[in-house]
Amino acid sequence: MTRAKRKYIFIYAALIFFAAVFLVPIGVMISTSMKSPPELVNVLALPKGFYRENHRAAFEIIGRGMLNSLLITLPAVFISSFVGALGAYPLSQFRFKGDQLVYMFLLAGLFVPFQIVLIPLFQIMRELRLYDSIPGLWLVHTVYGIPICTFYLRNFFATIPKSLLEASLIDGCSIAGYFFRILLPLSKPGFAALIILQARAIWNDLLFGLTLTRSATTRPVTVELSAFVGMTDVQYGHLMAASLWSILPTTIIFLVFQKHFIRGLLGGSIKS
Amino acid sequence: MKLETERKLTFALFLVIPVVSFSVFVIYPIIRSIWLSFHRWDGISPVMTYVGLRNYQRLFANTAFKIALTNNAKWLVFSLLLPPALGLLLALLIDNKLKGERLFQTIYFLPYTITPVAVAAVWRWLYEPRNGLINQLLTRIGLGHLARPWIGNVSIATYAVMAASLWWTTGFSLVLYLSGLRNIPPELLEAADIDGANFLQKFRRVIIPQLLPSTIVVLAMSAVDALRVFDIIYALTRGGPGYATEVLATLMFDFSFNRFDMGLGSAVAVVLLVLSAIIILPYIYHTSKGLEGIRN
Repeated sequence: MTRAKRKYIFIYAALIFFAAVFLVPIGVMISTSMKSPPELVNVLALPKGFYRENHRAAFEIIGRGMLNSLLITLPAVFISSFVGALGAYPLSQFRFKGDQLVYMFLLAGLFVPFQIVLIPLFQIMRELRLYDSIPGLWLVHTVYGIPICTFYLRNFFATIPKSLLEASLIDGCSIAGYFFRILLPLSKPGFAALIILQARAIWNDLLFGLTLTRSATTRPVTVELSAFVGMTDVQYGHLMAASLWSILPTTIIFLVFQKHFIRGLLGGSIKS
Repeated sequence: MKLETERKLTFALFLVIPVVSFSVFVIYPIIRSIWLSFHRWDGISPVMTYVGLRNYQRLFANTAFKIALTNNAKWLVFSLLLPPALGLLLALLIDNKLKGERLFQTIYFLPYTITPVAVAAVWRWLYEPRNGLINQLLTRIGLGHLARPWIGNVSIATYAVMAASLWWTTGFSLVLYLSGLRNIPPELLEAADIDGANFLQKFRRVIIPQLLPSTIVVLAMSAVDALRVFDIIYALTRGGPGYATEVLATLMFDFSFNRFDMGLGSAVAVVLLVLSAIIILPYIYHTSKGLEGIRN
């Protein structure tokens, strides 16, 4: 056997080994979600059939939360991307006094531990009567998405030649007109990646949901699921079915739009 | 001249919504939390009593706080070492122009897309003392004496949560390193091959230096995430058993929203903020210097 061939066999063996290890938790989740209670004592055995009761119970627990999460995530993703674009446009096209400062200010927001805002945010939301409401979470996810959205879109807009702006202005286009009619349509690939990135972040959020919602008609799925995980006596078949459903949307989006997702992640991580 | 002013005004209008909302809902709450940390308040009553540094004194004398601080230090060491190292290893394995490399990348990255709450759910089941996968496997291969209640045991619970976190976060380092590896100019590696360099020499002399920008990003993000880790701990152990897995973020939540001791909770948040700032400010400074380069 040649050296190169041995090397490839070694690499494949390692890749497959790690792939197996990485897939185990997901595999256990799927197989457990199909098992009836007596089958749970043998986690290594494959499910005998499809135990529907688990999924029925899961829906009872997190069904409403799934709907809430959908109602929270979908609008919030678009609003936050748009607001990010508003900020990113001047920052990417134009130098003005204090632009660095505005930018650093927003960038610092990427790293703020959210604990430092929770109590006052809770108060503000109560005063605005947005506590325990879905629009309240749109607002919070939009505002806390500003750093990443601005950062990401600023970098994206910076890749669009500035000469295009100048040419459009000479052709009589206004600053705002360029933004809405030329820059936004040209940035579709950028938005695709950002929207996927934000969908993951907002769907997966636990902390804001935990602090800013209370009733079953607003609580996101993460909050419902975390209450379920925290119970002392858990029926693992039900828990795994609920977990499986809760990760389904983000997983499907990831599998379908993997390229965009990874591009978004790379564009959103700050490289100097 | 008039045109110039008009342009400036339009751009300013674009910045109004993001800057104002960010100031009202982020900057103001930060300042207010700092202010709250000098007061005693239950979160409901209209009365707030100024107590000076009392909250900080109480905090530094608090056992749970000491445990949380130690645990954050452990998380920092863990996050700076294991996910980046494993991510780099997997990236090096994938980046060999092999068939199916996309599939492996998908598999390793998949956990990162999952909500930490579901990660906690599945790991709670894997760690289940009697029927959970880990103890079952240990028993099957004759290592039954190693089986234990992983997250129920005070001395190992934090490490057990970290293992779950490793599975979840490694994909992030992997993706950054993979893109870093693919940006290494092939000439550099070819030149090393022609000089007869073995893998370790190439790794040390070419790959590691070329990956420096990716490494800086990975380590900075890992450090921040280690300080603010919350979701996975909250969902998996709620900081328990006892205070064994408590970190600053979970402690803040507990003080504020379970015990309604808003002053003490704010003090924890301030400590968390200061620690994050110490770690991240050099990085932001470094990044903003690089920005000038991008812009010009």
